[in-house]
Amino acid sequence: MAIVIETKDLTRVYKTYQKPEGFVNSLRGFFNRKYVAKVALDKTTLQIESGQIVGLVGANGAGKTTLLKMLSGLVTPSSGDATVLGYRPWERKNEFLRQISILLGQKNQLWWDISPADSYALLARIYDIEPLYARNRVEQLADMLQCTHVLHTQLRRLSLGERMKMEIIGSLLHEPKVLFLDEPTIGLDIVAQETIREFLDQYVKEKGPTVILTSHYMDDIAKLADKLLLISKGHIVYQGTVPEFVAKSNTEMAENEEVDFEDVIRRFLETESRVR
Amino acid sequence: MKTSFAVFLRRNLAFAKLAIVSNLEYRLNYFVDAIVQPTLTTGIEMLLWVAVFAGATSAEIAGFTREYYLSYALWGAFFARICTSWMYEFRMIQEIDSGSVNSLLVRPMTFYEYYFSQLMGYKFITTLVSMVVPVMVVLAFRLPTHFERLPLAFALEFYYLILVHSISFVIASCAFYLNKVYSFTGAKNLALWLFTGELFPLDLMPEPLKSFVIALPFSAGVYVPVGYLTGRLEVASVTQAFISITVGLVVVNLLGAYMWKKGVNVYTGTGA
Repeated sequence: MAIVIETKDLTRVYKTYQKPEGFVNSLRGFFNRKYVAKVALDKTTLQIESGQIVGLVGANGAGKTTLLKMLSGLVTPSSGDATVLGYRPWERKNEFLRQISILLGQKNQLWWDISPADSYALLARIYDIEPLYARNRVEQLADMLQCTHVLHTQLRRLSLGERMKMEIIGSLLHEPKVLFLDEPTIGLDIVAQETIREFLDQYVKEKGPTVILTSHYMDDIAKLADKLLLISKGHIVYQGTVPEFVAKSNTEMAENEEVDFEDVIRRFLETESRVR
Repeated sequence: MKTSFAVFLRRNLAFAKLAIVSNLEYRLNYFVDAIVQPTLTTGIEMLLWVAVFAGATSAEIAGFTREYYLSYALWGAFFARICTSWMYEFRMIQEIDSGSVNSLLVRPMTFYEYYFSQLMGYKFITTLVSMVVPVMVVLAFRLPTHFERLPLAFALEFYYLILVHSISFVIASCAFYLNKVYSFTGAKNLALWLFTGELFPLDLMPEPLKSFVIALPFSAGVYVPVGYLTGRLEVASVTQAFISITVGLVVVNLLGAYMWKKGVNVYTGTGA
């Protein structure tokens, strides 16, 4: 299979202002500020083949979202290089942007003051999709997600689960070849999580995009991901399949002890938080 | 090339429609914005000139009568509302400050065109609706107005609006580095209150300040179109204003392009 995403020593360092607590320190900070550099992603090298669903797992602040933001062109790396579909993402060429989509579970990307149907009409213009084709595609996706009834309601009046379904339709309208999903099921109830998971599974099987998925719900990763990337303090510490990862972990366990994927990840994250 | 330009036009027309559709969702807010506010501003500025002439010892100031100043105040308030961008500049800053700009950066379009077309769409529809206020006052009080000069005055005003948007773009780009730059908008709009000629006609300023301020492109916001419309200025001043806006556009857009390019490189993809 062809390599769609490739990174070489990709690094991002954030400069952050540190302010000790208190009023006097606020006054001091007005004139003299201290900045510290934090490495969010450190010399990451990886390759991802087309048509794969890659689960990106790590603790909060491990560098998952930074990696997604760099691969989607939102953030420019401090050093290193990356290509997605043959383009440098942070150059944000329109030909590249037409072929990708990013869904940030904690951010709205559709327009708050208008209905999803109006938002999709606007997206059709942005991506230069024929309006009738776009309308049919929306109907088809809404049918799959069982949310046709809210297409004409103002976005701000929808529940979190309904909004997320609308966001998913918006991100798939132009049939992206690469899809970045950052916690698409965050805050949703179990039923909504399940619906979205099944939808994504079905959609990927039909259309075959390359997907990078981050989630704190291990069911999302276990059920959807072909490949697992484990990230810790800005480094990729494991690349392989979920079953291989579980098998490897089990061989490291004491006799009579056997764990599933969720347990392995929980242990990994607990170790992370102790070391942090 | 032709196709991509057609795509560009269709896309920007859709952004302009978005501005109109979004505003019409909130009917009362829009009514207050398009009718009540201009009526209040016009009333206040006209009362100011009535008070000035009531206390003046002569019937003319700088060669113009009370009716000319009332007409200037009336159209000045109207044109000043067109050429001031509080709402969209605030939104542009907020997008970058809050990180919601993420959803725009990953789409095949530019932040500049997205807000430019929205601003134009909003100003176009609001101008049409608010127009009823000055027209009614002019007819009721028989204030001097050359209605045949309206098309050129509007052409100048909407050309100036491109500069207004370009300045907003520069200010919004500062949010990549500084996050909260809302005070910049306030300071800039206060300065423009004077430099556009909204506060008083610029020819009342003493020399050499007068010549300098009139030569700046900002005079095209209020002083030149209103002066032309009320008979205070002739077409040569409008031509001069078009030229100074063009120079301003080149300078401000070069600065904007530089600030944006640097800004997105330091951007951390705030939130999420």
